[in-house]
Amino acid sequence: MSLLPGLGIAKGMALTLRRFFEPKVTIRYPEVTPDVAPKFRGRLQLLYDEWGSLKCETCFQCAQACPVECIDMGGVDTLERFHVHWGPPETYGERREESALRRSGRPVPDAAFVPFSAVDLTPLDAILETFDHDPAQMLPMLEATQAAYGYLPVAALKHISQKTGAWYAMIYGTASFYSHLRFEPAEAVHQAAAVDAHRPSEASYLTALDAALGGGAGQPGMPARA
Amino acid sequence: MPVSEAHQSTDDPRVTLDRALGVFEPVPPYPPRTEREAEFYTLGDGQMFINMGPQHPSTHGVLRVVLKLDGEKVVDLDPVLGYLHRGVEKLCENADYHQAICYTDPLEYVSSLFCEWPPVLAFEKLMDVQVPRRAEYIRVLSSELNRIASHALFLGWMALDLGGLTPILWSFIERDEIVEMLAALTGARMLFNYFRIGGVNGDLNHDFMSRLGDWMSKATEQIDSGNALLNENEIFVRRMRGLGTIDTATALRMVMTGPNLRATGVPFDIRRAHPYSVFPELEFDIPTRTEGDCLARYLLRMDEIRQSLRIIDQCLHNMPDGPIMAKLPRLLRPRPGRAYAAVEGPRGQNSTYAISDGTDQPFRMRIHDPSFIHLQSIGLMMPGHLIADTMAIMASLDPIMGGVDK
Amino acid sequence: MTVVGKTWNRLTLPGKIVFTAIPVVVVLTAGLIAAIAILGGPILATLAANLPIVRFVVAVTIVLLMTIPTAFLIIYMEMKIIALMNLRIGPDRVGPYGSLLSVVHGLKVLMKEDFTPTGADPTVFTWAPVVTYLASVLTLLVIPFAPGLFGQELNLGLLYFFAIGGLSVVGLLMAGWSSYNKYSLLGGLRAAAQVVSYEIPLTLSVVGLILLAGTMNLNTIVMQQAGWFTDWYVFQQPLGVLIFFIAATAEANRTPFDLTEADSEIVAGFATEYSGMRFGFFFFAEYVNVFIISALTVTLFFGGWNAPFPWPWPVALSADPGSLGIALLLLVAIVPLILTLAFAAPIWISSNRIKGWQALLAGFVLTNILIVAVIGAWAYIGLDWVAGLVWFMLKTYAFVFIFVWMRATLPRVRIDQLMDFAWKWLLPASLLNLFITAAAIVVFKTLRPS
Repeated sequence: MSLLPGLGIAKGMALTLRRFFEPKVTIRYPEVTPDVAPKFRGRLQLLYDEWGSLKCETCFQCAQACPVECIDMGGVDTLERFHVHWGPPETYGERREESALRRSGRPVPDAAFVPFSAVDLTPLDAILETFDHDPAQMLPMLEATQAAYGYLPVAALKHISQKTGAWYAMIYGTASFYSHLRFEPAEAVHQAAAVDAHRPSEASYLTALDAALGGGAGQPGMPARA
Repeated sequence: MPVSEAHQSTDDPRVTLDRALGVFEPVPPYPPRTEREAEFYTLGDGQMFINMGPQHPSTHGVLRVVLKLDGEKVVDLDPVLGYLHRGVEKLCENADYHQAICYTDPLEYVSSLFCEWPPVLAFEKLMDVQVPRRAEYIRVLSSELNRIASHALFLGWMALDLGGLTPILWSFIERDEIVEMLAALTGARMLFNYFRIGGVNGDLNHDFMSRLGDWMSKATEQIDSGNALLNENEIFVRRMRGLGTIDTATALRMVMTGPNLRATGVPFDIRRAHPYSVFPELEFDIPTRTEGDCLARYLLRMDEIRQSLRIIDQCLHNMPDGPIMAKLPRLLRPRPGRAYAAVEGPRGQNSTYAISDGTDQPFRMRIHDPSFIHLQSIGLMMPGHLIADTMAIMASLDPIMGGVDK
Repeated sequence: MTVVGKTWNRLTLPGKIVFTAIPVVVVLTAGLIAAIAILGGPILATLAANLPIVRFVVAVTIVLLMTIPTAFLIIYMEMKIIALMNLRIGPDRVGPYGSLLSVVHGLKVLMKEDFTPTGADPTVFTWAPVVTYLASVLTLLVIPFAPGLFGQELNLGLLYFFAIGGLSVVGLLMAGWSSYNKYSLLGGLRAAAQVVSYEIPLTLSVVGLILLAGTMNLNTIVMQQAGWFTDWYVFQQPLGVLIFFIAATAEANRTPFDLTEADSEIVAGFATEYSGMRFGFFFFAEYVNVFIISALTVTLFFGGWNAPFPWPWPVALSADPGSLGIALLLLVAIVPLILTLAFAAPIWISSNRIKGWQALLAGFVLTNILIVAVIGAWAYIGLDWVAGLVWFMLKTYAFVFIFVWMRATLPRVRIDQLMDFAWKWLLPASLLNLFITAAAIVVFKTLRPS
């Protein structure tokens, strides 16, 4: 503190007045974009290739490696066939929505089931009861489910995940590993034809590939793409 | 029971409540469990309780302090912790060694590098890894930058808790420049996740170096001119002097470390006392002050900024060439054993004690956080002061609730 | 649903009342004017007979209405100046340089939920902001803005000012007490302690001035300071100004004495539980208070509406525009045209790149500026209340700037230091000032009995 009382205050006032006239540091964001470092990690983003399809192969490696489980993968796999989901059965977002709904007093729908055709779960519950909801007996459980429904409906897998506590992605992994388990009724259309219908660009890519390789690449049911 | 009845909202007009909502009493709804609780929650003549936090505008983070007041004078207090508890230690024990580092980042979220450094050091000790010298220098360089950023924020907060509007924004300018710089180096502004077992994530790049050069050329001048606002201000000095005084013996008894201990006159600095990394090769002083009050803690941190600038300067001059990562397998399975590592953070001693059982996950990981240790001495400092000073005392200790609640 | 409907639904009850009341008031005013125009004579005769009452009602209305733009302006100044001192840009999105942001704040406050906490005393809780606001507004009545431009001439103007100004603490205390919140209570009690303590040095600091002036009439005090700026009382009462300024800062609860709403200590003090327009009234009252203490400082010590120097070339404007007859019409029609062309011509000639219409536009703008300047100068010279108002506002807003500047710079004092300062420093200093002034007056009177 100085000898003269008030001198420090006066110095501070002089300093603020000087800064009053100095250039400002604010960045007017929408008009001026800030100078972001090239290495800045920022937001997670999925990339598209030149054919317009997602580069992500839904291999779950990123979600599996993520230490804080902030990567929560959900959606449809690259062939647009199956709903896939990596993460705990109830993610933060779902839990938040649900608790908000609960507080509103309305009955709570399970958001995870909504996009899929519902199936009658009574036989599944009986099967789960037989296996004592034990996730370790996943394969026999899935086989019994397929025997009951003729195939493995996504809703049924979801239900198994909820009841046994096994992660949906693990059930999906088990089910997709064994060739005798199938995700659609036996009479379902060929996948490649469905792909052609859904993604013309990919179809043209396959045609081009077909021409280049001399036939066989774009045929329905080609084993490399199944 | 239908869902709609089980989860009836309190906003629902059909719900009648037996008590008035919005009237929150600080007294817990259960009978006192300890003698201390019974004593604290009994009001004397003319006393009242007041809840400071967890949603008070100036408690740092979500600390709740129940103050027992006599008029405006604090008679007694009871800190209530745990609003930010995440179970970091347990999470770390369920992740492998690389993943565990990431969990420690948000402990002290204003100085993340000092939270990832001790586990990295401890794991390196467990695994007997030799870290390349360039990586060590980069670690020192980036962490000292982070120390300045943290102290700059402290200086602003301190003033904000005393009612000054401007210093917080000026110090955020400093902090922002450093943080942008570190973003160029590490890829993130706040939770850097930069240190790896055996080295660092990325090498120095041109973007970082040019920003650092720009900033270093004006840093001293800028920090000094900004601090001239308050250092001589009579109102500020009068409020800070003699506030929250703690003597050396008490500080040692309360296991204080870092600037809060050095403000009582003990030149204890882990960088010198138990040197790690390349600090033995660097020249710097350990500033101390003897008063042990808020003003001493405030001024001491300003001296530390200058020392950090010195260290950064030396790092830049001595930076060796070479690799930035040691050769390590992708999956780490250290031999069974235990390791302890401590670093000198901006708040004090950040340390980690890790036990390995030979698997790829730490068997036990204990995190020592200085904020928690320092916060326990508010019980000694606050009683007898006014309600206006509680926040100033707390700010002068500089606790980060992420580290306190873990 | 239309935009209007949506907006209407978002308004709270007071907001709806205000928005309904505005057209009603407008229609009533128009009806009143029409009635006066039609009935004419008798009404005017009655009004003329009761001129003081009419004058008072009009003055009160104007003062009440004046507080709103004043508060908006000061809020904007505060946001912008503090931002600039913080090296920020501050408001810059709504209106030119963000100047309408405070208006938007006002509308926002109207649209917010008007919330009364459980356990509060609703009557006192509702009336507290009204009391605070009215205390601020009523003090404006005696401030002389310009020669002849004041609400009410009172012999005891200064005393009235302090008496009513002290009332605002009642509102704060009511708010603190009725909110059923300990932070509010602490804030209200702090306000009471602070305002009561600082009332004494505040009043004592102007006693010296009253001795010098020999009156408490603010108009007379201002008129005594006419002439050069050295005649201002600030040069005869330097210590008095200092004490007055510090004590007035504390009275208006401004930084560094803003303990009643110290956000880092007691959340928002007495206003913790307030929301909506009730909070808005507190907010407005605070900024009107800033204006008022600035205005009073200017009135008492800085010459009020007097210019700092007498106009060196006294001009008597006796020209009556009406005497020009038809020439006036020609003047009004032709002169702007000629001026526009005269301004446009050199611009157009000077550069090839300037198009004709651009030059004309620039000429038109310049002409307007010139005309406004000429009319302003004419009003300034010819009408002494315009000159007075200009100088008064300039000085007052200079003081408002100082208050904002202090807020940007200084931290807050502690309550015990605040009390110490009032009783141990300001009170003795103001007494010293009083004794010195009295002694000086006695000495001068003995030396030079006039």
